[in-house]
Amino acid sequence: MEQTLVNLNVNPCKMCMPMGSVMALYGIKKCMSILHGSQGCSTYIRRHMATHYNEPVDIASSSLTEEGTVYGGEENLKKGLKNLINLYSPEVIGVSTTCLAETIGEDVPRIIDNFYEENPEYRNIPIISVPTAGYQGTQFEGFFKALFQVVKTIVRKSEKNHKVNIITGPISPGDTRYLKNLLEHFEIDYILLPDLSENLDSGYHKNYDRLPSKGASIEEIAMMGGARYTLELSTFTNKENSPAEYLYREYQIPYKKLNLPMSLRDIDALIKELKYLSGKNLSEEVSTQRERYLDAMIDSHKYNSVGRAVVFGEPDFVYGTVRLCAENGIVPILVATGSKCPELKEKLQEEVKQVAESAFVEQYEILDDVDFQIIEKYAKKWGANLLIGNSDARRIEENLHISLVRRSFPIHDRIGGQRLLTLGYEGTLTFLDEITNTLLAKTESSFRRALYEKYYKGEKIKYQSQNYLENRVFNKIKNRKHITNIQLKDRGKEGSNMLKMDTSTKNTIEQKTKTHPCFNSGASDYARVHLPVAPKCNISCNYCLRKYDCPNESRPGVTTEVLSPEEAYERYLEVDKQVPNISVVGIAGPGDALANFEETKKTLQLIKESNPDITFCISTNGLMLPVYANELVELGVSHVTVTMNAIDPTIGAQVYKYVEYMGVKYKGEQAASILMANQMAGIKLLTDKGIICKVNIVMLKGINEKHIPEVVKKVKELGGTITNIMQLIPVKGSAFQDLPLVSNKEIMDMRKTCGETMSQMYHCKQCRADAIGTLGNDRSIEFSSCKGKCGSKEEVIQELQTCHKSKLLRFAAATKSGMIVDQHFGQVSELYIYEYTNGSPVFKEKRNINKYCTGNEECGENDKISMIVNTISDCDGVIAMRIGEAPSKKLEEKGIRIFTTYDRIEDAVILAASEILK
Amino acid sequence: MSAKEQVLENYSSRVYKNRKEHMVEVNNNDNNNMITANVRAVPGIMTHRGCCYAGCKGVVLGPIKDAVQIVHGPIGCSFYAWGTRRHKAKKVEDTDHYLQYCFSTDMQEADIVFGGEKKLKKAIEEAMDIFHPSTIFICSTCPVGLIGDDIHAVARWAETEYGIKCIAFSCEGYKGVSQSAGHHIANNQLMRFVIGEGDREPKSKFSVNILGEYNIGGDGWETERILKRIGYEVVSVFTGDSSIEDLKNAHKANLSIVQCHRSINYIAEMLETKYGVSWLKGNFVGVEATIKTLRDIAKFFNDPEMTARTEDVIADEINLIEDDMEYYKSKLKGKKAVLYVGGSRAHHYQLLLNDLGITTLLAGYEFGHRDEYEGREVIPTIKPDADSKNIESITVEPDQEKYHLYLPEEEVNRLKEENFLGYYGGMVKDMKDGTYMVDDLNHFETEEFIRLLKPDIFFSGIKDKFVAQKSGVLSRQLHSYDYSGPYAGFRGAVNFARDITMGIYTPAWGLTKAPWKTTPTLVGTLGGEA
Repeated sequence: MEQTLVNLNVNPCKMCMPMGSVMALYGIKKCMSILHGSQGCSTYIRRHMATHYNEPVDIASSSLTEEGTVYGGEENLKKGLKNLINLYSPEVIGVSTTCLAETIGEDVPRIIDNFYEENPEYRNIPIISVPTAGYQGTQFEGFFKALFQVVKTIVRKSEKNHKVNIITGPISPGDTRYLKNLLEHFEIDYILLPDLSENLDSGYHKNYDRLPSKGASIEEIAMMGGARYTLELSTFTNKENSPAEYLYREYQIPYKKLNLPMSLRDIDALIKELKYLSGKNLSEEVSTQRERYLDAMIDSHKYNSVGRAVVFGEPDFVYGTVRLCAENGIVPILVATGSKCPELKEKLQEEVKQVAESAFVEQYEILDDVDFQIIEKYAKKWGANLLIGNSDARRIEENLHISLVRRSFPIHDRIGGQRLLTLGYEGTLTFLDEITNTLLAKTESSFRRALYEKYYKGEKIKYQSQNYLENRVFNKIKNRKHITNIQLKDRGKEGSNMLKMDTSTKNTIEQKTKTHPCFNSGASDYARVHLPVAPKCNISCNYCLRKYDCPNESRPGVTTEVLSPEEAYERYLEVDKQVPNISVVGIAGPGDALANFEETKKTLQLIKESNPDITFCISTNGLMLPVYANELVELGVSHVTVTMNAIDPTIGAQVYKYVEYMGVKYKGEQAASILMANQMAGIKLLTDKGIICKVNIVMLKGINEKHIPEVVKKVKELGGTITNIMQLIPVKGSAFQDLPLVSNKEIMDMRKTCGETMSQMYHCKQCRADAIGTLGNDRSIEFSSCKGKCGSKEEVIQELQTCHKSKLLRFAAATKSGMIVDQHFGQVSELYIYEYTNGSPVFKEKRNINKYCTGNEECGENDKISMIVNTISDCDGVIAMRIGEAPSKKLEEKGIRIFTTYDRIEDAVILAASEILK
Repeated sequence: MSAKEQVLENYSSRVYKNRKEHMVEVNNNDNNNMITANVRAVPGIMTHRGCCYAGCKGVVLGPIKDAVQIVHGPIGCSFYAWGTRRHKAKKVEDTDHYLQYCFSTDMQEADIVFGGEKKLKKAIEEAMDIFHPSTIFICSTCPVGLIGDDIHAVARWAETEYGIKCIAFSCEGYKGVSQSAGHHIANNQLMRFVIGEGDREPKSKFSVNILGEYNIGGDGWETERILKRIGYEVVSVFTGDSSIEDLKNAHKANLSIVQCHRSINYIAEMLETKYGVSWLKGNFVGVEATIKTLRDIAKFFNDPEMTARTEDVIADEINLIEDDMEYYKSKLKGKKAVLYVGGSRAHHYQLLLNDLGITTLLAGYEFGHRDEYEGREVIPTIKPDADSKNIESITVEPDQEKYHLYLPEEEVNRLKEENFLGYYGGMVKDMKDGTYMVDDLNHFETEEFIRLLKPDIFFSGIKDKFVAQKSGVLSRQLHSYDYSGPYAGFRGAVNFARDITMGIYTPAWGLTKAPWKTTPTLVGTLGGEA
């Protein structure tokens, strides 16, 4: 669901124009509304308003029928007006149009003229025509359109008076009452349009008053033309719908537009203006209110700083709320309105950017013309912990368990929406308190557990090594500034992650599988850390050569260093701080996890105490599995990978050199039989306990390639979840170093065949034993403590810099990060070209190539490889993490040397150059 | 002067003439209870009626849970019909469920000017991309019919393009005079494109459809529970908690039980004509009404074992609610009610109120026709007018392959003559002399009648609810039950009784007078005043 839909609105964040128009007209005394169109429009709007306000909402309709669409609706509208006047005796009538009336092109002003002509006795009742086609805007635009038309119809040139016109957008009756009190407090003689204070929030009267008896009277409104000033409390009105601008154009009344007073800055601006207009000093009451509000902002800042809010709704409301959030340290990560309002982004960009930066939040967005599907997407993606807006987000609240602070219109699932306050020092304070309390409620219900699990549960270790650990981490950070930045930013994220974690219940194995990048290809955003605590191995595979000296190779069996359980724990803590989304801790060698069971066990225990929810995953040859299966389950290991290449001892005998079991070294078929029996028994033991088992099978040309489907069938029988058929990595020095490779097509075909039996893994990256990060981005080099110790490389580099000065060499490097050689040659879409002279490598350019390894039928097509080889024919060498057999042949034919490594690009280039120049 | 005359007195002569025909003081002795219904509302006098779109999309189609229902039109109508009717549905694993969603083409001015078909097609493409539905409905709103978008052609295009089911409903708001037109349009299209397509054989010969049950507040579930307990197989429910698959198989049932006659009688009739499925009018609102309906169903199936089981279940269910009902009856006996709701409920709920000893003073429908007031016997005398002629009426022929009869034809005919099958008697026969039937009771009349009749409780919807409450009269919503329900069947009756008892005995009613107003104020005149 990545794309933004432009033709299908899914769960709208807006209503239609007539809704807004009718609402605005409810702020005029003794005014009745009639909608010109089919009666459903009135009914639906009444239904929605009544549910929000819990008040009778009376909107008449001209009840157009099919006949009206043919002959026009004039007769219906005139009849409607007459009946309305007879039964309700309104002093003013608003006629808002609908989609229907506008589409058939009804000329409402003309109909009104005809009505007056035919019924001169009604000339004293002003009839206001408001063109509000449902397709021209939302309720927000409809609201101001109505006010504009009221002013245009009612206001007359009148004698100068001392009044101040106050124009507001759609605010609650509660807020309107506050505004009136404030104006009265300043003793300002005002005309408020619309005055929504009473009609939609009236009391129990016993006798229902069928005409809205309160609100701005037309006599008052008429006088707006003589006022001394206009204050318009809206940020987003324009020439077409701003009453203030109209009054200025027609009657030269000076005006000022102010933002809705919903943040300290905007309230201050209003107060300052009122102070000026009234010529009075600020009363103690108001200044005390400000002090109290400010004090509350300070009191609550510590809770607000974790706030990551989604603010949505009508533009003015959104604008005010965002400013309120921003000045309280809450990051509005998504600001959204259903209206078409590009100005919203212009006006809020800087504001949001600042608060986001101060909280190290990098992802935020300001959008207009959106629906709730988009809002939900962002809320989820960016980890919002708060929704602020109307009750239509209740579905998101339910789906994502993010609390919704309800304000604005409509509020259909709570009572009292009409009394909610958002304006002024006191009103905004109730709003802010609710926002803070919503955040606080979440913290309050979770902080004990969060703290306990983060610090207290790890007490034993803390006492032993706390200082040591903290110092080491601190020193490292001090030495590496870029990491400090990352860390601080992640700390910001940690806040929201923490909240997110707390809502999740204890992870079940099923949930763990969802976030395990190796078991779920959809979990590629989740990262894992492999802890190399298991150096020893108890079998010898012909394809394996374990090395743990330097970080220049990336494949199973390789690690930079072997860690003790304590060091591994320390590594885990460090990685958890710096790499987001660590969901899995794995032990994958470099030897066999179970041949080093004590180390494996200790490591897992340490980590489990500090984070019981993490997923533990181990990788093993399975020899010792029957012995340790139960203990693994107790340790909380949920995922186990067993490498099982054959189930037939004659085939197995060709794969394994020897097996060391219970102190005896076995060879040949005997060795294979023992190993296989234990593998199968072990897998069964685990799957019976609900553990997820993956079986890796290395596809060996001429050895087990025909046998693999049988292995897969066996795995299924044993209850395994997925099999992973892998390419052999021919390691120099191993027995299979010269074994020809199967083609990618053969592997894909095999996976397809076996896919009929059970799930296949297609996204294996054949990681290192100390891999860290997501599958696509190994960051283990950043965490390696071996840098600088690898004297040999430094020496080589130094030596190179002193000799062979003149020769220029060109290299093509396979990299994703642009820093490290971290890609398989066949999987890159571009190559980085480096030039080497005088001992220093310089990056020249990127060259685009088509990936030749798409894993499908086209795979292995010679032409394609030739094409790629041609694009780099001017290079002396290719540096890649790994490379397939076909391209290496081609390259070698062309005289291009191949270097497989896992290293910083510059260092790799120097080393490659030294090889060539030897 | 009667209450009716007092209310009418306020009207101008033209309106008086019109509205007089919509009000009947019931007198079952002289058999002259003729009422005018299903004609245009008077403009300007706040009718509570909805529009054609509301009846089609909102009422009949809305509850079908596995169809993506795209509203083709500007945003408002789609928004207003989003999750507002409380038709409940269960999420079934591995089947589509779109009730929480609201889909609209959100037409803009340019689409009105240049036509919206393209946008609709693209919207369908987008819906297919994201949701992969197996069924899409397209419902049009007012402007669509005027600008000439051919939504039916788009539906055919979508069917060939995607191999899905796509049905268009031309339910522009201005068609007809109320929701009723929309029901008819929805009925026609479901009959044309859905019913009869399935081949899922019922397991039991005691198989029924429940027609006109929209599962508001879970009414349908309570009804199904009782029927299943007796041993009936419910083949389909139109359309509460329904899926297209269920509706496709409706023709396989042996009997249709019609709950809401107004909104679904077209399908009931066509099912009988085309497939031979008899229908009888049932009512699961009210304890006595439910018992009668269950016995009627047993009578139709005419199986001794089922008849015995029916009686056992009735006895057992009654046993479970008896004490509660007695208690509530003691609290409610003698209270008076006014009902204004729907095209069936104003009748059905009178029977439940009877169970509780509450008298109905006035009852009216928003969109009922004369048959819902006076009974189907008046249908031949109803003259079609310009508005009703505009709504398509389809005729069906017996389907040679799928036609099946449970009872022999002569028996069916006999039961029809008895007014047992294919008959609805309307509300009037259940009303007492001197009470009122008012059709399309408008906002003004609501106020006036409440003032004059002084009921204890007014049953209606959200639009008129607050007028009653501001006048000091309790009001409960019978469209959406104010979050409560179910009210149908045996258990539902107890819920209903509890809810209104709670409402009538709410402490607030006793506190309406401020203490300083309880002592009589001395009334006098000041010097100089008359």
